[in-house]
Amino acid sequence: MNTIVVAQLQRQFQDYMVSLYQQGYLDNQFTELRKLQDEGSPDFVAEVVSLFFDDCAKLINDMSISLERPDHVDFKQVDSGVHQLKGSSSSVGARRVKNVCIAFKECCDVQNREGCLRCLQQVDYEYKMLKTKLQDLFNLEQQILQAGGTIPQVDIN
Amino acid sequence: MTMTIEQEIEVLDQFPIGMRVLAVDDDQTCLRILQTLLHRCQYHVTTTNQAQTALEMLRENKNKFDLVISDVDMPDMDGFKLLELVGLEMDLPVIMLSAHSDPKYVMKGVKHGACDYLLKPVRIEELKNIWQHVVRKSKLKKNKSSVSNGTGNSDKANNNRKRKEQYEEEEEEERGNENDDPTAQKKPRVLWTHELHNKFLAAVDHLGVEKAVPKKILDLMNVDKLTRENVASHLQKFRVALKKVSDEANQQANRVAIDSHLMQMTSHKGVGGFYHHRAIPVGSGQFHGGATMMRHYPSNRNLGRVNSLAGGMFQPVSSSFPRNHNDGGNILQGLPLPPLEELQINKAYQSFNSQQNSLMVAPNNLLLLEGHPQSSSPSLNQGFSPHFEINNNKRLEHWSNTVLSTNMPQRNVHSKPDTLEWTTFCDSASPLVNPNLDTSSTSFCRNTDFGSSNAAQTDFFHPLQMNQQHASNWGPMTEAQLFRNCDSKEGLHMASDAGSLDDIVNSLMTQEQSPTDFSEGGWVMV
Repeated sequence: MNTIVVAQLQRQFQDYMVSLYQQGYLDNQFTELRKLQDEGSPDFVAEVVSLFFDDCAKLINDMSISLERPDHVDFKQVDSGVHQLKGSSSSVGARRVKNVCIAFKECCDVQNREGCLRCLQQVDYEYKMLKTKLQDLFNLEQQILQAGGTIPQVDIN
Repeated sequence: MTMTIEQEIEVLDQFPIGMRVLAVDDDQTCLRILQTLLHRCQYHVTTTNQAQTALEMLRENKNKFDLVISDVDMPDMDGFKLLELVGLEMDLPVIMLSAHSDPKYVMKGVKHGACDYLLKPVRIEELKNIWQHVVRKSKLKKNKSSVSNGTGNSDKANNNRKRKEQYEEEEEEERGNENDDPTAQKKPRVLWTHELHNKFLAAVDHLGVEKAVPKKILDLMNVDKLTRENVASHLQKFRVALKKVSDEANQQANRVAIDSHLMQMTSHKGVGGFYHHRAIPVGSGQFHGGATMMRHYPSNRNLGRVNSLAGGMFQPVSSSFPRNHNDGGNILQGLPLPPLEELQINKAYQSFNSQQNSLMVAPNNLLLLEGHPQSSSPSLNQGFSPHFEINNNKRLEHWSNTVLSTNMPQRNVHSKPDTLEWTTFCDSASPLVNPNLDTSSTSFCRNTDFGSSNAAQTDFFHPLQMNQQHASNWGPMTEAQLFRNCDSKEGLHMASDAGSLDDIVNSLMTQEQSPTDFSEGGWVMV
């Protein structure tokens, strides 16, 4: 094991993680999720976020269909989709996604199709962005493990 | 189910480890997380993403589970419907789960019989306490059968459940007498079970809340051995609870911006520091202000008929004081000490109103009002002044932690003295839920799902700082815009409100004679 490489990777990992919080991609809930990961469930976080991204894709797709026709928008369906997205994003700590959902819900409440479309676009952007970021994070984790190191505990505070 | 005493003790020793939970949520992400959280709490977990499946599982064998946690919004069946059915058919405790913090939903949950209402994202601390609902429920069943039998019974199933209560451990030999509260010198209490309460609700609905008078309700309910007095006191509590919910909904709208701003700005100072700082000045030495506030409370609230009823209810119980209302006395007689602290809290509440989310305080306030008739009587208050001072700081600190725990999504704040006090107040025969309660919060509605305030809670992650920091990082929606949205929508803290509501309803359902075993304060009702 090349300790210098491991140390570098660990440092990289830590910095990256911190930046994700700083930039608002993640919040405390994500930290809680990481705490739940242990030897018994070593891929728990990856599993959960993967489920989450699947959910996102599906919900966004359904909502875009509902919003498609200007004269015939099923706001009820959109509202239900936003609600679920908000619930799951808050559960995984996907802060930005969740925040968009909050704004999204407001547009939905007043039946503002334009606003909804913008929010839909935004939420799509945000979840994909997060997906990329987390992918990078997990890759770093893998690299550390492969180099023989351990994943450092990152203290967000 | 026959078990030897040794086996029963074993079960008791292990409980709540291995408590069997059925978790229902159509959101697979949330379900997965919930499952893991529950496993962490060392519960035995079964999951399903369909309400219908859950129902079938339960119907197949209701003894397979101790508790059900279910999401509210599910496509195949309304979560409330599931809740109702489970409550009616299996009489298992059900905890609702939702991303909705709207008090309407919370109220709905209460009405449909939910034991608790948790907001997503659920925290492990909240789940660690849910086993209490199982105990509570089993106590309810035990007492329910005692009411219907008229005397104590030695039903085996009841005995098994009672085993779970530490308090009862010592009374193993007295199985036959278990339902005789050793301190019971008062006449038998009415246990407002789920069923009974439903009949009550139906009667009230039928008559209309405004026109619902105890006599008519009693007639409609048509329940043996129920007296007008029982109904009357229950009605008072019900009205107070209802009023509180609608009041808080109103207040929320007024206070949101201020509160969430305050939360954000001060959150990073840390839990105890901030609230403690606020609480102390309010509480200390302002006894008379408190008394005044107490007096003013009903009028501020514009309770109308409820007020007069409530006023009647608050008349002191003991014979040395004037009494308007006759029956409430029994319920209030065995009151444990918390009244003092509660009153203290109430004082703080009034001052807090302008600064903080009063929702949090309201529950305590209500609890106080309900449970402690003296509080609204100025002459009585005078006498209590010294006691207040004594308990003042301690309780306020306690209380401010509670405020914090429900107002701010601070995960590390656990104490919930109002629940403690309340359940003690109405249910102190089971110290299990009182002195041994660790400080995790079990309020009815957890408000952890707040946009900016979630961020606010991590010291590192300050929302206001955030605003400036990455304003440039945001896409089409500006950070400020999103935060504004967060503030206005998510700064609402219904949790506390719901929490207390749950307590109130629970207390309505678990009215029990309870001798006071409070050593603090020394306040005694003659």
